[in-house]
Amino acid sequence: MFLALREIKKEKVRSGLIVAMIALIGYLIFILTGLALGLAQQNTDAYNSWGFQNVSLSDSANVDMRQSFMTKQQVGHLSKQEAVVGQTSVVAKAKGHANSVAVLVGTKANQFVAKSIQLTSGHRSKNQYQVVADEAFKQAGYELGDQIKLNDGQHRYTIVGFTKNAKMNVAPVLYGQLSTWHGLKSSMRGIYASAVVSKNANYRNHQSGVKTYSKQTFINKLPGYTAQTMTFELMIGFLMLISLIVIAVFLYILTLQKLPNYAVLRVQGVPSRILVGATISQSLLLAVGGLLIATVLTIATALAMPAAVPMAFDLPILGSVGFGLLLMSLLGGLVPVRSVLKVDPVSVIGG
Amino acid sequence: MAVLSIKHVNQVFGTGTARVQVLHDISFEAEPGTLSLIMGPSGSGKSTLLTIAGGLLTPTSGSVSLAGEPYSERARQERDRLRLNEIGFVLQAYHLLPYLTVADQFKLVDHIKPKTHLTSAELASLLGTLGISDLINKYPGELSGGQQQRVAIARALYPDPAVILADEPTAALDGERVATVGRLFRQLAVERNKAVVIVTHDTRLMAVADNVYQLQDGVLSANQISKSES
Repeated sequence: MFLALREIKKEKVRSGLIVAMIALIGYLIFILTGLALGLAQQNTDAYNSWGFQNVSLSDSANVDMRQSFMTKQQVGHLSKQEAVVGQTSVVAKAKGHANSVAVLVGTKANQFVAKSIQLTSGHRSKNQYQVVADEAFKQAGYELGDQIKLNDGQHRYTIVGFTKNAKMNVAPVLYGQLSTWHGLKSSMRGIYASAVVSKNANYRNHQSGVKTYSKQTFINKLPGYTAQTMTFELMIGFLMLISLIVIAVFLYILTLQKLPNYAVLRVQGVPSRILVGATISQSLLLAVGGLLIATVLTIATALAMPAAVPMAFDLPILGSVGFGLLLMSLLGGLVPVRSVLKVDPVSVIGG
Repeated sequence: MAVLSIKHVNQVFGTGTARVQVLHDISFEAEPGTLSLIMGPSGSGKSTLLTIAGGLLTPTSGSVSLAGEPYSERARQERDRLRLNEIGFVLQAYHLLPYLTVADQFKLVDHIKPKTHLTSAELASLLGTLGISDLINKYPGELSGGQQQRVAIARALYPDPAVILADEPTAALDGERVATVGRLFRQLAVERNKAVVIVTHDTRLMAVADNVYQLQDGVLSANQISKSES
């Protein structure tokens, strides 16, 4: 550590460049992680807020709640652990506003899904023509009491409340009553709900034409969700790999330049472990410096980013990514260790 | 009693037609308080002898002892430890770490060898003797060649070794500096009771040496030239 700190202090420009490089790589990875998480959350926020474990859908729906239609008989008996929901894509229209693609979710007021809606203003829906909207509507200029039409229907729906983090497939959710959903699906006779969700991990719906899935299976089957998350995971993985190579190359070149100095220290009897320790601690110090700067840049970016950009940060995930980068730096620092161990002190004796 | 003793050392490099015997049956001793010169032209085997004396190279045959302890056959870590504790190297190109100030060159020894080194007062006295007290916060790049050489000497002495091995320490110095550095080594040998061994082809150092050996084609002259004889 002594040698590493002194070298960093003396070689400010060189060390600064490496720190800057690690900071930029770290910043890029943090931002990508934030975007990946943000997008993932915008796909699943509403589902996550319900806190369910299993979901039952009609077996012909291909695990897509919007394509699932269940009769009352298929819904079957429900305990307090279960709730019915009706889900459909809608286009919300209002004077003075651009049309907005949204997801209408019909709920029953006495069941846990409706109870899980956390209002940021207003009140819950009290009749078929009242809806609670995701804050995206508020950001788009809607206010409490504004009226919207859904699709080509003639009914007007009043926004009576706003809730945050209510998105499905990156579209904002409008929470209404189950009867609101029934109204939009009036052409489909005998249909009662899209799905039954349950907080009970052992819940199974054994009715004919119905299948039960775990929440994770259901989430993974959301249109585009797995492809999106895998793309981001691959990008982050490749960036990690690239950072490993770049850091390793930089540290290798730095160490090669110091080998004659290290040879002198070996002549003087300085143990190899001190030199290896200096190399590794230098890489860790530079990486920590770079990651701290990357964190500050990421926080600044997050604060400056418009609310419309799907970016989310989760400390454990960012901590893991930061630790991964630190690990990559450590591995990068280990690459030149072989050269340090093989340094020949005899090389500096004689002319 | 000799602190450094080299007995019947032979060194061979290569095999078959590429076989070269660099040192032939070398025996040599260095006693505390003396300055010994090993002189010879380039390619005579001086540097090889120095690396063997410093435990950096295990001789093909023969033995090297430090304070009566044979150590040329010991494990690398053990030789490192002995070299750190008992041998101070002064090299031709000084080789101070460029990113350490003069003060930090000594602090590095404090980190590696926290207990047995010169005290602060002894170091201050040594720096005063070498005339480098006011350079303590400078980096090697800010020093002249002569100043760097004196820092390198102080750095070699700081762990308080029994033996100083110097490799062409005057190669880059002018005549006046050679005399100064020569006197300095002599002073260190006598006042600090060190066994100083210098390999060089610089005849100007003969004036300060207690013993002068000639190394020619790997053969050390049998009869040393003691200062009293010269």
